[in-house]
Amino acid sequence: MNISPVHFIAVPLLAAFLIPIIGRFSKEFVKVIPGIVLLYLSYVAISLFPVALKTPIVEVLAGWKPPFGISLVYGPLAAYLTALITLMGFVIWVYSYKFIIREPIEKYYMLFMLLITGSTGIILTGDIFNMFVFLEITAIAAYSLTAFLRDKDGAEAAFKYLLIGSFASSFFLLAVMLLYASTGTLNLAEITSKIDSVAMSTRILILILFLVGLGIEAELFPLNGWAPDAYSQAPSPIGAIFGGIVVKAAIYALMRLVFLLFNFSEVFHFLLIMGIITMIVAEMSAMKQQQIKRMLAFSSIGQMGLVIIAFSVGTSDSVQAALFQMFNHAVIKALLFFAAGYLVFHSGSKKISALDGLGRDKPLTSFFFALGALAIIGLPPFAGFWSKLYILISVADAGLITAVVLVLIASVIEAVYYLRVVSRLYFNKESAQETEVRRTPLTGLLAMGVLALVIIVVGIYPDYIWNLLKPAAEELVNKAEYIRIALLK
Amino acid sequence: MIFYISGILLILIGMYAVLTKKNIIKIIIGLSIVDSGINLLLIAIGYVNDGTAPIFSNETLKAVDMVDPVPQALVLTAIVIGLGVTAVALALVIRLYDHHKTLNINKIRKLKW
Repeated sequence: MNISPVHFIAVPLLAAFLIPIIGRFSKEFVKVIPGIVLLYLSYVAISLFPVALKTPIVEVLAGWKPPFGISLVYGPLAAYLTALITLMGFVIWVYSYKFIIREPIEKYYMLFMLLITGSTGIILTGDIFNMFVFLEITAIAAYSLTAFLRDKDGAEAAFKYLLIGSFASSFFLLAVMLLYASTGTLNLAEITSKIDSVAMSTRILILILFLVGLGIEAELFPLNGWAPDAYSQAPSPIGAIFGGIVVKAAIYALMRLVFLLFNFSEVFHFLLIMGIITMIVAEMSAMKQQQIKRMLAFSSIGQMGLVIIAFSVGTSDSVQAALFQMFNHAVIKALLFFAAGYLVFHSGSKKISALDGLGRDKPLTSFFFALGALAIIGLPPFAGFWSKLYILISVADAGLITAVVLVLIASVIEAVYYLRVVSRLYFNKESAQETEVRRTPLTGLLAMGVLALVIIVVGIYPDYIWNLLKPAAEELVNKAEYIRIALLK
Repeated sequence: MIFYISGILLILIGMYAVLTKKNIIKIIIGLSIVDSGINLLLIAIGYVNDGTAPIFSNETLKAVDMVDPVPQALVLTAIVIGLGVTAVALALVIRLYDHHKTLNINKIRKLKW
């Protein structure tokens, strides 16, 4: 008997409710709970993975058979993404353990658990309105976490995010409403089987509403103005969660809907162009940033542009490459945010210019940052190289040579601004001001070490991950199969 | 029909408020007007003229005489979510006011691209 995928949603949600109550009795125990929860979920994710590859699990909730009730669809793609989210969540928890020392700790962990709930919910649910609810859970937790440090800029960044985000959710809700009005159901698979009878003008309207609604969370240009502020004002582990988990869930939702409901070549062309613009604009903006976390945020947007390019080529290979890039980006960007968090903490300033000579003072943290930087640029021995290579190959196979050239140009820009930081770390003389010596805690180093190890191992043996992604990519491309599975036919 | 028109009008009024007003509180009011408009539209979709509540309270009732219960369930959820977002927004406004001593959005903008 397998463990039900419902646990991915129910357990962190329960933990989120219990944490404030337990926090009244023991602050220490509160810090451990998310770790236990995420460890358990990682175990479930890994043990269910082979099952989902063989036969996708459709979990019927409350005894209402689809298409009437809400069902969870746990296919290869969902299995891969939930495994990614829970494992990354666990690493982020390890890092947070000593990093988040400021009160209110129990609120931090409560919101963290809600983010996990929301993201896994978006991925697992087979119901479009349910997806809206999870999107909102994620968004509300993300707004609050952006303002977690209670400073001036944090509140402003959070408010900006909230304004854009609630507009987005209104658009999403309108789209859901139009879908319900025109197909009479909320089940994603059922909608897919009926969508062809809907008038084309309505479909385009729905598509635009979805693109705006999800594009904001997925950092699609020009809807990503919130991202640099939110990433740089939130505590560093939250930056890693945004880049590693929340954006991944949003991209999943966008691509699932596009592949299921709006499977025409014009849409893919449009997305391809938007992806390219997103990537180029973000990399250019990253060049001129003075603050390291803002730079990382723009780089994250650029990477998402790359993922969208790969998705919108639309072949099974390119989707597989996009999923691989999502994995690499989650791991590498989390490592960069972790290292940047302690570099900022040690130098006492968010500015890149304050990092001069830290490579000597903080050899390990700086080393991890440099490793992450080299990996995300895509240098050969590291994981980032393979996903970029596969993306380029699949894009070139589709005959889009212009896109290949633009991706390469973006990579060069990326290399310039990352290597600028790395050279400051190692080759610039230390600035005169002496700051007190603070050590990076062991848990922080442990979290970074694990991620660095994953980057190197995946870099040497990319085929393991690559082969795991094949069924996931095929699931996304093949919509008839999805309908058959989700409707229990 | 009147429901559809007024729902769309509410959405447009709310968007106008969000886009043009300078006072943060008014922007948030605009957001909740948009929410109300969407909720009204949702209810209007499921409405049947002279329909009754979708409960089988006596045996003579037929399914076609009832309004669609699904949009109503959705609206209930959407209202709760809207409330949550508004509460978070107002909490942020309190903090912004503490830091800046103003509610004018033009005077608060410090972070830029």
